[in-house]
Amino acid sequence: MNAATLIALDELRLMRRNRVAVIACVLLVLLTLVAVASSWAHQREIEDLRARHQHEAEQAFDAQPDRHPHRMVHYGTFIFRPLSALAAFDPGVDAFTGNSMFLEGHRQNTANFGDVNQSSLLVRFGQLTPAFVLQTVAPLLLIFLGYGAVARETERGTLRVLMMQGATRGAIVRGKLRALGTVALLVVLPAILGLVALAGTSGAASLPMAVIVLGYAAWLLLWVTAIVLVSTLVGRSRDALLALVAIWAVSVVLLPRVAPDIASAAVPLQNRLQTEVAIARDLRRLGDAHSPDDPHFAAFKRSVLRLYGVTRVEDLPVNYKGLLAVEGEKVTSALFERYSGESYAAQGSQNAIVGMVGAISPAIALRSLSMAAAGTDFAAHRSFLEQAEAYRYDLVQRLNRLQADGVTYANDTASDADADRRKRIAAGNWEKMPDFTYRAPDGATLAGRALPGLVVIAGWLMLAGALLAFATCRLGERR
Amino acid sequence: MTLWMHEARLLLRQRLAMIAVGLLAVLTAAALVAGMAEVGRQRAAIAAIVAAQAEDIGAIAAWVDKEKDAGSAAYYSFHPTWNAPSPLAFAALGMRDVSPYILRVRALGLEAQIYDGDTFNPELALPGRFDFAFVLVFLAPLFVIALCHDLTSGEREAGRWRTLAALPHGGAALWRRRTLLRLALLWAAIGVPFAVAAGISGVAAGAILVILGLVLGYLLFWAGLSALIGRLRWSSVANAASLAALWLVLVLVLPTLGHVVINRAIPVNQGAEIALAQREAVNHAWDIPREDTMRAFYASHPQWADSAPLGTAFHYKWYFAFHQVGDESLAGKVRTYRQGLETRDQTARSLGWVLPSVGVQALLTGMARTDLTAQLAYRDQIRDYHRRLREFYYGYMFRDRPFGKADFDHAPRFDAATG
Repeated sequence: MNAATLIALDELRLMRRNRVAVIACVLLVLLTLVAVASSWAHQREIEDLRARHQHEAEQAFDAQPDRHPHRMVHYGTFIFRPLSALAAFDPGVDAFTGNSMFLEGHRQNTANFGDVNQSSLLVRFGQLTPAFVLQTVAPLLLIFLGYGAVARETERGTLRVLMMQGATRGAIVRGKLRALGTVALLVVLPAILGLVALAGTSGAASLPMAVIVLGYAAWLLLWVTAIVLVSTLVGRSRDALLALVAIWAVSVVLLPRVAPDIASAAVPLQNRLQTEVAIARDLRRLGDAHSPDDPHFAAFKRSVLRLYGVTRVEDLPVNYKGLLAVEGEKVTSALFERYSGESYAAQGSQNAIVGMVGAISPAIALRSLSMAAAGTDFAAHRSFLEQAEAYRYDLVQRLNRLQADGVTYANDTASDADADRRKRIAAGNWEKMPDFTYRAPDGATLAGRALPGLVVIAGWLMLAGALLAFATCRLGERR
Repeated sequence: MTLWMHEARLLLRQRLAMIAVGLLAVLTAAALVAGMAEVGRQRAAIAAIVAAQAEDIGAIAAWVDKEKDAGSAAYYSFHPTWNAPSPLAFAALGMRDVSPYILRVRALGLEAQIYDGDTFNPELALPGRFDFAFVLVFLAPLFVIALCHDLTSGEREAGRWRTLAALPHGGAALWRRRTLLRLALLWAAIGVPFAVAAGISGVAAGAILVILGLVLGYLLFWAGLSALIGRLRWSSVANAASLAALWLVLVLVLPTLGHVVINRAIPVNQGAEIALAQREAVNHAWDIPREDTMRAFYASHPQWADSAPLGTAFHYKWYFAFHQVGDESLAGKVRTYRQGLETRDQTARSLGWVLPSVGVQALLTGMARTDLTAQLAYRDQIRDYHRRLREFYYGYMFRDRPFGKADFDHAPRFDAATG
């Protein structure tokens, strides 16, 4: 057995004798298991609920009686965002985004009923998930276990004894690293096993899972290195502990909260009222479908008449009101897309600013890595919203075309007692409308989004390793 | 007095302690500035409503004036409501970043409108805001621990403890003086910037005093905990480690665990179910005799029962009536939903009696009116305003009175103060 292994074994023996350390380790493992179990149960429940709601909404849509197609445009449909396979590991923004959306004509609605608005104030203290335990709690445990690793030897003078017995500086530091690394492995193992079990039941892609495992391994390794580094640099274990807790508090607790404030101050976000008023203003500029003399819609009417070679809308082979609805929806939807695109872009730059702060707080980098790989970050939510909008547009236009082809202009404009019946088309049409299917991003995409975070953490790990190598060379030289 | 001065001099000479106090003051000030900036942004957004609304309503009024149809006017005009931040909101932003504080409603079914959210970036909301409440609840205890964990153990390790313990009453007065001095410094580091910011924001003196008392109480709790751990006669390092572990458990782990337990134990009917039911109720009206709807509507609104009977053509009063009837049919669901939210909130609050971190957060957001109670009160104000709005338009629709440009000016306005 070489010196490093001996030192590692000795350090581990010392930790095992420390009753507080053992209790802390056991508690952390228990906490991880509780987090895995509760998060898994919670996500399963949400998933079932959303699937049930989705099913109800689809059935209700299909079961509508004979209707005027435009009624169905307003009847609209509900869609529910399915959870990503790894949401039980890291639910990310899911609780904040709202998960149900009402899709209807002429309007772009927000996603509603996020958990955050349906929970007590405790939601702001964080969520007990495996990701939270590994991101926040595990580093603190490692600090408590490892702050004295080298500092203790320096403080008590045992470092010289060790070196006199032939242990090189490198062997001592490597031994300490190995011991603390073993504890880190013990800490991370239940969460990783939980992750694998979750993935097994939900069929998650393996690539993002590998990135998550790699990311958290690098994260804990970074802490192990940083702890040994501080313990090496600082002569007294008391100072090492205070310095490490301070580093932890700043990078894990403080900076992740400060960064969003910086981002929201730097990039303002238009609120809904401003957006809606701006859209209404642009719509008036583009054309007013209510006004017969509106230039845009007058030109549209001329082009339709020319296309069919007739002079009056009454003579068209299709229902002009339906065509008008198609055109109107096209105009409004283009505006919705422009404004939501601007909002997404603003939110994207806000997140980029947070990411830049992440360069000094690897905790932020890890969080975005974890959310991105789990498919629970803003990018994944945005892709849901965009798919929802595409589906909404397609559905509304299909219904508008049904109005153009299935309802005659004469009936559509009539207002006699029987007109309401004549305007309706057969209920069978509703069943033919496609249901919403959410296409989750594939494993490669998720892993790709997580890559920047991984790079940042790897960079920090290399920096810490280099510093440690440097500090090792000077170990025990001073005083 | 000279003893106090002496201790103060000793403390002021400790470079690390003074740096810590200074850092806490800087962090507090930064959080207050960030909170005030956020509240300022919200106030500006509320102030900007008037112009945007005038433009929007002006355009609608221009074309409604041609037909003078009250139904179109009611259908197309959205009316703004807002929830202005209280003077103290800057200290604890609570739910104001994720719950809407501006909401436009129209006289149609309210249940389809009242749960709408505003635009916010979920990734920014996720970690929680950097506000005064955060500095107090999360960070201040760490500073107390840093300054107080080695009060006795430090002396023991320096070999002075026996001498000090030989003082009358085992030096109790000395430890008290030292603890109180540290507390006073930390309290000043948090309290002075807060009092200044609260003064600028126009917070009532009574509320400032209550919060200063709250800060003192919370700091005392952590100082007491430090003293208790100190009595176990462990080393300074063991004291620091166990106090930090206690902090982790009391501030991070137990509240998050409590969140999981509360949400499991108190199921809340999903709001989405209300939305689904509302749509069914409203759209079903197209398939039943219109008289059935009107009968149901007149039963709850007898003042319009003598309105002219419906003809064969579409009439907006029927359209608005079935939206109203749809809302009324959901009253039970809405009540259960609200009760569920309130029970969750109350349970979390009562957890505050045993978890000081939760208690302080609940008290601060309660006083700042940024909690769920305030959110529900805002919803009540919207409901009340919506009722006045409906009655205003009903007065035209059910009497077939023409609705001209000038009538838009008579529409009731939302009054944030009285609802």
